[in-house]
Amino acid sequence: MQGFLTTAPFTILSLPLLGTIFIALVGPRVHRSVSAVIGNLSILGAFVLTAMLAWTVWHLPPDAQVVTVKYPPAWAAHPVFWAHIPPLTISFEMRIDALALLWMLIITGVGFLIHLYSVGYMADSHGYRTFFAYMNLFVFMMLLLVMAGNFLWLLVGWGGVGLASYLLIGFDAQRTAAVLAARKALIMNVIGDVGIMVAIFLMYAHFGSLSYKEVFGNVSAANTNALDWIGIWLLLGAVAKSAQLPLQTWLPDAMEGPTPVSALIHAATMVTAGVYLIARAHPIYDHAPFAAMTVAVIGCATAFFAATVGTVQYDIKRVLAYSTMSQIGYMILAVGVGAYAAGTFHFITHAFFKALLFMAAGIVIHNLDGEQDVRKMGGLAKRMPLAFWTFLIGTLAISGIPPFAGFFSKDAIFDQLLTHGHPVLWAFAVATALLTAYYMFRLLFLTFLSGDYRGTREPHAASSTSMAVPTSILAVLSVIGGWLVLPGHDAISAKLEPVFAGALPEMGGINAMVTGIAIAAALVGIAVAWALYGRASQARTKLRTVLSPLRALLLNAYYFDTIYHWLFEVPALTVASDVARYVEPDGVGGFTSGVAGATTKIGDVMRSWETGYLRRYGLTMVIGMVLVLAFYLYLVHGAAAVGMK
Amino acid sequence: MAAPQIPLGDYLTVASALFVIGAIGFLLRRNPITMLMAIELMWNAGNLVFAAFARQFVDMTGQVFVFVVITVAAAEAAIALAIVVMVFRRKRDADVDDISVMRG
Repeated sequence: MQGFLTTAPFTILSLPLLGTIFIALVGPRVHRSVSAVIGNLSILGAFVLTAMLAWTVWHLPPDAQVVTVKYPPAWAAHPVFWAHIPPLTISFEMRIDALALLWMLIITGVGFLIHLYSVGYMADSHGYRTFFAYMNLFVFMMLLLVMAGNFLWLLVGWGGVGLASYLLIGFDAQRTAAVLAARKALIMNVIGDVGIMVAIFLMYAHFGSLSYKEVFGNVSAANTNALDWIGIWLLLGAVAKSAQLPLQTWLPDAMEGPTPVSALIHAATMVTAGVYLIARAHPIYDHAPFAAMTVAVIGCATAFFAATVGTVQYDIKRVLAYSTMSQIGYMILAVGVGAYAAGTFHFITHAFFKALLFMAAGIVIHNLDGEQDVRKMGGLAKRMPLAFWTFLIGTLAISGIPPFAGFFSKDAIFDQLLTHGHPVLWAFAVATALLTAYYMFRLLFLTFLSGDYRGTREPHAASSTSMAVPTSILAVLSVIGGWLVLPGHDAISAKLEPVFAGALPEMGGINAMVTGIAIAAALVGIAVAWALYGRASQARTKLRTVLSPLRALLLNAYYFDTIYHWLFEVPALTVASDVARYVEPDGVGGFTSGVAGATTKIGDVMRSWETGYLRRYGLTMVIGMVLVLAFYLYLVHGAAAVGMK
Repeated sequence: MAAPQIPLGDYLTVASALFVIGAIGFLLRRNPITMLMAIELMWNAGNLVFAAFARQFVDMTGQVFVFVVITVAAAEAAIALAIVVMVFRRKRDADVDDISVMRG
């Protein structure tokens, strides 16, 4: 038992990495399908092992369910292998507890389904092998992020998923838009990395350690001000990674990546790393009320902001991107007010239904040869029944219609917002739920219903088995995933209890009024969407003219990109081009050629000394000798003696 | 009875005179053989100083050094004469001012 607990985490972590290395080294020499098989099997293996590990851990007594593993055991604290900067020693430690396990299960489980989906989706791609190598690398880094036992290894994983995200967004490197989007995502994410780095410095200053165990064990002794600062800097990391305000602009652009990438990285797992970070650092936020409140407000603002933008977009993946942003806003809001279990629960259900929505959208895009504009779709329900039904399930789930998954997790968040005494945040959350239902059904109607097909390209009918199977599995999970938490039966909180040590209020208590309002809001949203898009209607055109200024604001996502362009990009480019024009040639270049010129001139002067005449050299030597002698006499006998001479 | 002691200053005067004659000879003459002889004078001025001080302080180190200098001087003379012979074969002349091709 103990042996399995020590070896399994290491094996789980190694499998995707070995997959990457294998595909990178052997992939080009063998048939392309080998890379796909290895890529899939390594993730499946990691998932099976994770499930076994979870089963093992959850059968331990509750107080033993937080397992710290150091690797490799014999070297764990050896300064030669890991960082040793006295008095700080950083070992490679992992922390396996319910929070990490739930995340690992989703990363490997949903990750495997998306890998399987990619086999079909990427079949025509030239970079087939590279794609699976990158995807495996991503899974490895993401697992490292959630399994790490100290903040330094968390940061390694944190930076690593950013790298994998960069590589995969820019996967189609022929298109300028993809490359620019990848660069934007990387820059925004690095801002967050710096935030976490500063938080790590502060932690070292205040706690003298980066290990979760020691930092969290000493938080009650630290002062609130310091904890608030640590919390705020950690939040900067979370905000960048999870595309929250004000660092959210990279996520819609990241949709330039292939759809499986959007499903895995920019919907199900990586972008929820911010939620994980705040839930993981919960002892800090429990003692830092200001930082926690900031988290909640940012989450709530992002949820509402993204939902409003989502109502007017026409790119199917962009709408899903804004909905992801909005749903992560919910999770951040939940963990900000201390409802960690509700946030984690929503992460799980969201991973199911959002990956499902992306996969269904991916089938549509794939069958339309890359078309993403919903204005050129419509009436696709008959042509792509599988995509339609699965997308419908996903839409019902995200809108919070019972008994689909999203209903339970959203309801848990709404309930806990009121329990924790945040009626204003709750009001915004419910308004967001209404908007969510509206824009998701608008998307559904525009894509699959509302009259006939409006596009020009003839859609392919067939979708491959490797795409259909995982989509169907996720559809089932999007229906039943929410049943983890039912009235009187709260599997999530029960599992998370040892991690949060009694700080969790029970979920699943159905408050009739709260639930009723949430469902009513969703139904209103659906009704409005149907009224405007579900049938032939003149109201749409009228509304568009009446609300045109608002519509322009939303279409441009509140002009965040424009503001950042003028605030950061233009000054930076101006400075850079001025430096290139003046400092570079006259300053740097001037200095360099000045040094070169001076050397030449000195050389010219020195050269005239070298006449080649022996007597000249002899004379030089004699003069030198006389000078040395004079100097010596001066030293020995003093100035007076020389004068006398 | 030992011969009357010659004072150290006399040795040094003779050595200085030898050295200056050697140096002036080296600077003024053009014939390489003569220049080598001038150098030889300077060597020996130095040797004389070594020997004189060795005698003054009754210390063998100076005398030992004289032997080293004589050996090195022999080696130097051998190489230098070889060069002179080579130059003479080439130029049919032995003026050091003509062999100034090594200038910068």
